[in-house]
Amino acid sequence: MTTLLEVGHLSKKFVSGGGPFRPVRSMHAVNDVSFSVSVGRVVGVVGESGCGKSTLARLILRLIEPTGGSVQFEDLDLLAQKPKPMRALRARMQMVFQDPYSAIDPRYTIRDAVTEPFDIQGHRYTAKEKDAKTAELLDMVGLSGHLANSYPHQLSGGQKQRVGIARALALNPALLVLDEPTASLDVSVQAQIISLLEKLQDELNLTYIFISHDLSLVKYFCDEVLVMYLGRVVEVLPDTEAAARHPYTRTLLDSTFDPDPRLRRTIEPLAGEVPSPFDLPPGCAFAARCPSATGKCSTELPVLSSDGGHPVACHHPL
Amino acid sequence: MSMLRVEDLGVSISTISPLSGVSFDLERGEIIGIVGESGSGKSLTAMSVMGLLPLIGGQVDHGKIEFDGIELTGISENEYRKLRGGRIGLITQNPMTSLDPLKKIGPQVDDVSRLHLDHDKSQAKARTIELLGDLRIPEPASIYHLYPHQMSGGMKQRIVIAMALAADPDLLIADEPTTALDVTVQAQIIRLLGDLVKQRNLSLVLITHDMSVVAQTCDKVMVMYAGTAIERGRVQDIFKSPRHPYTKALIGCIPHGLSKTVRLKGIEGTVPGVAQYPAGCRFHPRCGLAEDICKETVPAFDTAGSRAAACHFALGTAQ
Repeated sequence: MTTLLEVGHLSKKFVSGGGPFRPVRSMHAVNDVSFSVSVGRVVGVVGESGCGKSTLARLILRLIEPTGGSVQFEDLDLLAQKPKPMRALRARMQMVFQDPYSAIDPRYTIRDAVTEPFDIQGHRYTAKEKDAKTAELLDMVGLSGHLANSYPHQLSGGQKQRVGIARALALNPALLVLDEPTASLDVSVQAQIISLLEKLQDELNLTYIFISHDLSLVKYFCDEVLVMYLGRVVEVLPDTEAAARHPYTRTLLDSTFDPDPRLRRTIEPLAGEVPSPFDLPPGCAFAARCPSATGKCSTELPVLSSDGGHPVACHHPL
Repeated sequence: MSMLRVEDLGVSISTISPLSGVSFDLERGEIIGIVGESGSGKSLTAMSVMGLLPLIGGQVDHGKIEFDGIELTGISENEYRKLRGGRIGLITQNPMTSLDPLKKIGPQVDDVSRLHLDHDKSQAKARTIELLGDLRIPEPASIYHLYPHQMSGGMKQRIVIAMALAADPDLLIADEPTTALDVTVQAQIIRLLGDLVKQRNLSLVLITHDMSVVAQTCDKVMVMYAGTAIERGRVQDIFKSPRHPYTKALIGCIPHGLSKTVRLKGIEGTVPGVAQYPAGCRFHPRCGLAEDICKETVPAFDTAGSRAAACHFALGTAQ
């Protein structure tokens, strides 16, 4: 399989404060993340709020500049691209946002929203061509062509997310980064969107990076899964059947409820919550909440290692 | 006697009727899940029981709400004020907005027992600290002096739970108590609520959109769709063999544990808005089993075993 995307040691450090009364504080939202994505795969990124999932998505598409590391897309060094070629490259890599309510300009008709990418990329289409493109794109995402002249407020959340997907597909991208595309939708609509994404992937041979906090959804939808905790990848599940090796992944799995009352189990919830990403300890960021932590964990940072199975960053893998 | 008994509840807000045909009952020590998608009327049901409809210009125009033998639909605002926060506790969805940001959390919890149990300042404080300890909050005596912004989301939700419990209620209503929280914290809060119900022999109405939460915690469930109840019964029975096509479809929308060969389908179409409720069965435009009768006649509840479903073609009915 050909590699579409290669991310190497990607980091993003945010600095805040620095006023007269506020000391400068910095946090690594994404810290030394490496992975690669082959054509046609669905790679999931899962983690709790604040773990750096969305920052990672934005870094991959170079919507924000990283503070370190590299991104190779279709064998091009993304970070070395000048603005113009970068803009052309953007046609190949698109993003679908979490909140379809705010992702579409309320003053744009659906037709405007879906054809805006062509204007940005300098395609000079006539009104007639744009109508045809709109009809084609709406049909692709299962929307009626009548909606072309509607405004976003006239659409339901599920329909808006379909528009978001149609717009992302307008320029025939190779890679779609889906940032929690169903988090603000009802479950029945979530299922519609997920099956639409599956259908599109088959038809268009797309590659997805799917970001979510919902581990059962990720396990259902993805081929492989990166588990993130406080900016670092702590485990890479090579397939969705793989047993968790990191204690954090284990707890995440245990925290998802089974929709079967016969399988009711006493959940042994993890104590505490995700700590502040400022002032992280020198060792494993999960050590304070980890049932199997030892002294080594709080002083020595574990690195991703494939000894004894798939990659995991833990001194005491399960 | 049931702790809470709702019979054929209907609500009107000016000229629209966003809620109708809601019935359920709840015994002491039981948990009922009210589940449905957004706009199904879950929160409106909770507001009706709490007597909060006047806040949004609504009123109960049909049916009964009986709490421990007291009929609530006719009582005065004064009597309601004694119940609310007293014998009936409410846990809201977003702990970030249900606490006063300008006041330390301890005194906020104190207010409840001072108002409802006539505690003086020091009694109330002692009680709050004990309660925080019961909710597994570490170092309750120092947490007492913190402001909401100094706490994490899960901790704030515990404070909201402490406020709901401060006057020793008999009934708790939790409206999406974990929706704003991360999964590991959600597991903690759900576990905590289940333990509280057992220890204090409470009754809990758990409102959620998540069928998995219902499966893991509730004794009974009522499924709502477009402002009305469509199925109710014991959790075990409903998950094993749902009778309403909507309930069945809703369970089918959960990706948990599905193999790569079973694919999610979703439910075609969207939940109708209040102004566009279709005639007949409100689910018929999205239902695979719908026939002409569904477009014309509102189905009545049909009971089989522990399950009652409002469907002309309820599944699992002896034909």
